[in-house]
Amino acid sequence: MADKILKKEDLAKLIASVTGKGGRFVAPTTAARQIVFKKVSKAEEIAPDYILARNSFKEFLFPQTEVIAEFTVCKDTVDMRGVEVEAPETVVFGARPCEAASLAGMRALFTWDFVDEFFTKRDDNTVVITVGCTKGDEACFCTSVNLSPESTEGADVYMRETEDGGYAVQALTDKGKKFVAAHAAVFSEGSAKARALFMPEKVPGVDLKKISERLKDKSHYDNPVWKKLAMKCIGCGACTFVCPTCRCFDITDEGTAFEGERRKNWDSCQYDSFTLHASGHNPREHQPQRWRNRFMCKFNFYPEKFNSKGCVGCGRCIRVCPVRLDITDVMQEFSK
Amino acid sequence: MNNIYLPQLVTIEEIRDEAPDVRSFKLVFKDPRLREGFDFKTGQFALYSAFGLGESTFCIASSPTKKGYIQCTFRRSGRVTGGLSQLSVGDTMGFRGPYGNSFPIEEWKGKNIVFVAGGIGLPPVRSVIWNVLDNKADYGNITIVYGAKTVADLVYKDELKAWDEMDGVTLVQTVDPGGETPDWKGKVGFVPTVLEEAAPAAANTVAVTCGPPIMIKFVLNALLKLGFDENSVYTTLENKMKCGVGKCGRCNVGDVYVCKEGPVYTAAEIKRMYNDF
Repeated sequence: MADKILKKEDLAKLIASVTGKGGRFVAPTTAARQIVFKKVSKAEEIAPDYILARNSFKEFLFPQTEVIAEFTVCKDTVDMRGVEVEAPETVVFGARPCEAASLAGMRALFTWDFVDEFFTKRDDNTVVITVGCTKGDEACFCTSVNLSPESTEGADVYMRETEDGGYAVQALTDKGKKFVAAHAAVFSEGSAKARALFMPEKVPGVDLKKISERLKDKSHYDNPVWKKLAMKCIGCGACTFVCPTCRCFDITDEGTAFEGERRKNWDSCQYDSFTLHASGHNPREHQPQRWRNRFMCKFNFYPEKFNSKGCVGCGRCIRVCPVRLDITDVMQEFSK
Repeated sequence: MNNIYLPQLVTIEEIRDEAPDVRSFKLVFKDPRLREGFDFKTGQFALYSAFGLGESTFCIASSPTKKGYIQCTFRRSGRVTGGLSQLSVGDTMGFRGPYGNSFPIEEWKGKNIVFVAGGIGLPPVRSVIWNVLDNKADYGNITIVYGAKTVADLVYKDELKAWDEMDGVTLVQTVDPGGETPDWKGKVGFVPTVLEEAAPAAANTVAVTCGPPIMIKFVLNALLKLGFDENSVYTTLENKMKCGVGKCGRCNVGDVYVCKEGPVYTAAEIKRMYNDF
């Protein structure tokens, strides 16, 4: 049940309250005629009516590129300096329940024995506010991966749009409760009628248990179906960049031979260079092998290794794919 | 802040050319505490950086029994190894490690060991060879089967000679057909074939192999054919890595992350893995 109400006119106050304390307020806004998560400073910038942003908010926890060290080559040595992570207090407003559910997997991965503080420090300083979906499209399939517009996984605060244009607010985690308390003046007591949620239809025949079982059986590896489904993939990697759970990266040096920085950059398992050895050998030489890896990462590695969801059903990969490769077709195929 | 991607600095103390495009570095930590205290287990790997060009992954080619320094051996074949090849004695490199699991040599005490290596696959095996030879009384007979494309491509030529002259060590060298020179006294043939003729009896013997992926696959089959127990056969998979710590997502063979759950595997474990390395 909702604890508080955020009135329509008070959203501006919430932004001011967050930014006034030095925080950054990230929300879906319009840029180049697309809805994208960006830092906003005014309520008017927030897209009034959207399904979900084209990018996921992962880039505010795991940026597309970030400096991890700087170096200067001196006469007798190298001056190597680690950099401190920039982790401003951040509020992600208007995340969808699907993408918020990606956080468990990201957290497991970035803290698996070795703790990547570039991720954890940003994560610690980020409050995720999800807003239940009142509209969707044909690419939405959260209900086929055991999620729904009502799911609260990964959310610190869950909100429902109300009929009068405001929000019914529910603080879930300690971080969420602290957030609501810290900005108490902005929230009101009371109740309001919530707008109806949009429930995507389940993809016919999809059975996650069956997919998991089929992927555990090694014989699927040479199944000609991979070729049939994934041969049209052009390896552009767009699906991996918009995916909220994809987190593969490269480490490269930028600069000259004398001075520069070491960076962590997003990378994609869909690129042939991703696994290419310097010798010329490539364990995942063909596109269907790379596609198989992506599908297994979502439906086998994340669930089995990190006890979390690898696919949250947001449908971004379906929307951006230039060759209309639809992950739900593969899910159906492996549900047989 | 604890930055898991920040390398240590090492100085190149010695450079040795092993074969065309193959070079070894003897490295010493700049940090005096690490120079004394750095410890690793045989089979572990590290990421080596050429500043301005990035990091590359190779095993630590020296044995933990040799204190005060580490060695690496690499073939110049890409951007980073190209950069490393330009460095001279006294220059500084980055080193991040040790990472990964290791060869369980303690469990092998009292057993014979056969080492099977191909080309640039000898460096990781060399670490184990010296570790075992430096504790030779603990182990039985040692057989080393080593091959390369040509005579010139054989690495560690001085050490091959030393091993050949050691008591209780049998060294069998081979080159691929066409790779021999007129004065070549070793065998001519591919490593898996030569292994089938030269391997010691499988009973009470552990096998360790490394080489190009295709060679590893054939050697594992040959060893199993010779009657070796799949739990007594070990290999190390040196996949491409960027982070070395289970995050960057490229070294996995199916659901197995080589950097975290490897790089050392038994043939039994390889059999359970996807045929994708």
